[in-house]
Amino acid sequence: MARTEVARSEMSQAIENTAPVAATRPGGALARSLIGGLVTSLPVLVVGLLILNFAPTYHTFLALGAFVNLIVVVGLQVFMGNSNIANLGHSAFVGLGAYGVAILSTPLAMKKLSIPNAPFGFATLELDPVSSALLALLAVGILALISGKVISRLSGVAATIVSLALLIIVHSVFLNWTDLFKGNQAFFGIPKVVGLPWMMVMSVVVIVLARLFKDSRWGMQLRASAQSPQAAAALGIDARRLRLMSWVLSALICGLAGVLYAYFAGTISPKLFYFQMIFMTLAMLILGGMATVTGAVTGVIVLSVGLEFIRSIESGVTIAGIQLPQLLGLSGVALGVVIVLCMAFRPSGISGRYELDELLSRFFRHAK
Amino acid sequence: MLKVENLGVRYGAVAAVRDLSLSVGQGELVALLGPNGAGKSSTINALTGLVAPSAGRIVLDGQDISRVRTEDRIRAGLTSTPEGRRIFANLTVGENLRLGAATRRDPKGVRQDMERFLALFPVLSERYAQAAGTLSGGEQQMLAIARSLMSRPKLLLLDEPSLGLAPKIVVRIFDFIGQLKAEGLTLLVVEQNARQALRFADRVYVMSSGVLRFDGPPSGLADEHGLLNLYIGG
Amino acid sequence: MDYALQQLLNALAFGAEYSLVALGLAVVFSIMGLVNFAHGEIIGVSAYSVFLAAALGLTSPIVAVLLAIAAAALAAIAFERVAFRPVRYAPTTTGLLTAFGVSIVVQNLFMLLISPKPQSVSILNGLNQMWFFGPFAVSSLQVMELIVSGLTILALVLFLNRSTLGLAIRAASRDFATVRLMGIRANRVIATAFAVSGALAGIAAVFIMARRGSVSPDLGFSLVLKAFVACVIGGFGSLPGAAVGGMLLGFIEVGLLVVLPQEYGGFKDALTYVIIVALLVYRPEGLLGQRVELGDKEI
Ligand SMILES: Nc1ncnc2c1ncn2[C@@H]1O[C@H](COP(=O)(O)OP(=O)(O)O)[C@@H](O)[C@H]1O
Ligand SMILES: [Mg+2]
Repeated sequence: MARTEVARSEMSQAIENTAPVAATRPGGALARSLIGGLVTSLPVLVVGLLILNFAPTYHTFLALGAFVNLIVVVGLQVFMGNSNIANLGHSAFVGLGAYGVAILSTPLAMKKLSIPNAPFGFATLELDPVSSALLALLAVGILALISGKVISRLSGVAATIVSLALLIIVHSVFLNWTDLFKGNQAFFGIPKVVGLPWMMVMSVVVIVLARLFKDSRWGMQLRASAQSPQAAAALGIDARRLRLMSWVLSALICGLAGVLYAYFAGTISPKLFYFQMIFMTLAMLILGGMATVTGAVTGVIVLSVGLEFIRSIESGVTIAGIQLPQLLGLSGVALGVVIVLCMAFRPSGISGRYELDELLSRFFRHAK
Repeated sequence: MLKVENLGVRYGAVAAVRDLSLSVGQGELVALLGPNGAGKSSTINALTGLVAPSAGRIVLDGQDISRVRTEDRIRAGLTSTPEGRRIFANLTVGENLRLGAATRRDPKGVRQDMERFLALFPVLSERYAQAAGTLSGGEQQMLAIARSLMSRPKLLLLDEPSLGLAPKIVVRIFDFIGQLKAEGLTLLVVEQNARQALRFADRVYVMSSGVLRFDGPPSGLADEHGLLNLYIGG
Repeated sequence: MDYALQQLLNALAFGAEYSLVALGLAVVFSIMGLVNFAHGEIIGVSAYSVFLAAALGLTSPIVAVLLAIAAAALAAIAFERVAFRPVRYAPTTTGLLTAFGVSIVVQNLFMLLISPKPQSVSILNGLNQMWFFGPFAVSSLQVMELIVSGLTILALVLFLNRSTLGLAIRAASRDFATVRLMGIRANRVIATAFAVSGALAGIAAVFIMARRGSVSPDLGFSLVLKAFVACVIGGFGSLPGAAVGGMLLGFIEVGLLVVLPQEYGGFKDALTYVIIVALLVYRPEGLLGQRVELGDKEI
């Protein structure tokens, strides 16, 4: 009895901590969350529209890459931000999404060149992009469900390590099942059907989804149970189920990012979906702040710009007529330093605890 | 020997101890009483430095130790036996005692002290090579006190030595505490069990809700109407 | 017969190396709750130190071995001092991500300052020869791996059970605050744990260099990932668990090499991980783990 009482008060405190703007009515909460998501995606839309209208082709290409990263980071936030467990395997799902559509939608003429011996009749199958995307996401969902069943049962540290193991398993399958995935070589000829407008729409959808999950009862309970597991358990919250739920949603969003990447780049290879992507997206999320969707968005914007600058130095620039040598590894050092410094001095990242709309409404309330 | 001035301890927004001043003289046994949640353990932890005080000064032998690290306070002769005993359950009884003497550089003296406590508490001697976690609560408390004494402290802080123990065992433990006092050790004993704590106390402090409510001789405590019942409940 | 013995020796040698690395991870995790992803880069620093010393004219293999161990221990202490101390009392995830960041930084520094390509190191090649016992030919390196790992683990056990600092490390794995109440300096306990962890990594680095004859920026990374898996399967934070988990991993890998047809050899790592994860389904807390994690400490 008494234990439950304590648990209840601890719990409400935990929920309060995690949801600064408490919901009043269920309907109102949903609307607020929806609007919040849209507000959060505003900066993304603005950047996207600017690029769409003014940027040269090269920058459009970069921007498309950044949008893919954005969707991955938002997907990562759905699991890490709510469960507070580090996930180091999410690019496996990105890769599966990308390879899924590559195998299903690549024109037969191309397949004769790239994967003539594909099993299960995939060599002679060509689906339209939308069905391919849906089936690829189905595959991602199944893998997420299986891996999630294991991961949601483990303690935080073990779960992180198993997420890594998943990454290595999937990567190794991409590399070694050459009949289906073409191994180490680039898989080309995927129909390029996605441009910036679609990418922007999907980004907004994903941001709103992440926000809705975060503000939902499940999201709140998951964050509360991450803060005080005993209290949550005493209230009958099934943390495992919630972790599984956020894991699958996170994986689907990452898978979608993979689908979109394949459809805009037209060519993919396994190394795109390995540690490099993990490092970068993780650094983005940490820098922005993993507690909020706004953090995910902020981190992607800031680091995308920062990294592009560093890459230009990395490839060897000419300053005042002096050609500097190539500095391979510079961007890696920068990413790592960003992670280490953030963790030491500002673990909650740039955006901290509040979403953009929450900050704005606080700001206006104070201004009044 | 120990002087605490206007001590404050906070955990975030919660003020656990407010404006607390107390002193312990050489050779004294001072009791600090108060109900659950009064802030007694917070006070002790501030004295050892395990929690950082939010205000106030702690002076040991004329030296301000408020900013000194825990390890160095122990080396300066102040030791505490923490609440709930906190013996190292995965280490043997002997290893627990050895760690108690970790700061000492006189192997011969350490061996003598070890033999003394083993003679004093024959159970510890019998279970010398067993994991300390297998001891009963009372035995663990004796081990915890012996472990603290292995560092030859000048001042020993005891946080609720009676916690969770049978009345008969509590009496034995306080007999031992009385003996330590008789040997000249200075002690600050935190208790909820007022009757036992007052057996050997020279002076008493009572606190509740983080604030000092009484300061005086044990006899004064009985005089103040209902104070004992009010704050301690027996 | 010869083949079976050879594979047994393979499994034991692999397992011994995983155990060494996994023990290094477990020592640090057990007292600090730190999941040290940068452990592989400690191996890296050790290897690159030998590479640089050799480039500067070092020829004695014995000195190289000592240098490898010392450099690893120092690197471990330095990582703690610079990167891990600020997050010492932070939640596990914070420490884990910090270590991940350190790992990225150091790997990329190797690329930036030395080269992204593997560099040849031949100074320790002498350790890797064929020894003939009558009809049997065995790799000297494997025999040494087995013996040295066994002796190292024995030394570790003695250290943890006999020396005061060793006792303090074991005690700190359950209750750091009370160790400080014994007047034992927290910084010293932690530095010692890191030094021990680093020395174990340094020994592993010697074996890796002797086997490969080269160093590369990601030298220790994949090995440490496997060692982590060994820790998880043994029970995270448990030292016996780390040793057992490492051995088990060695046997699973060699078993797969024996069983898998040549053309599927590439799936060895993937299958190893699949087997381990499947084991976790039945024992989420690991083989020798406890339900309560060793890492959770109170003030
Ligand atoms: N680590 C902590 N974090 C937050 N609050 C604490 C902590 N420790 C104690 N408190 C609070 O401080 C108050 C005093 O606690 P404590 O010093 O343990 O009292 P006592 O030892 O007299 O029972 C209590 O309200 C308790 O809930
Ligand atoms: Mg108390």
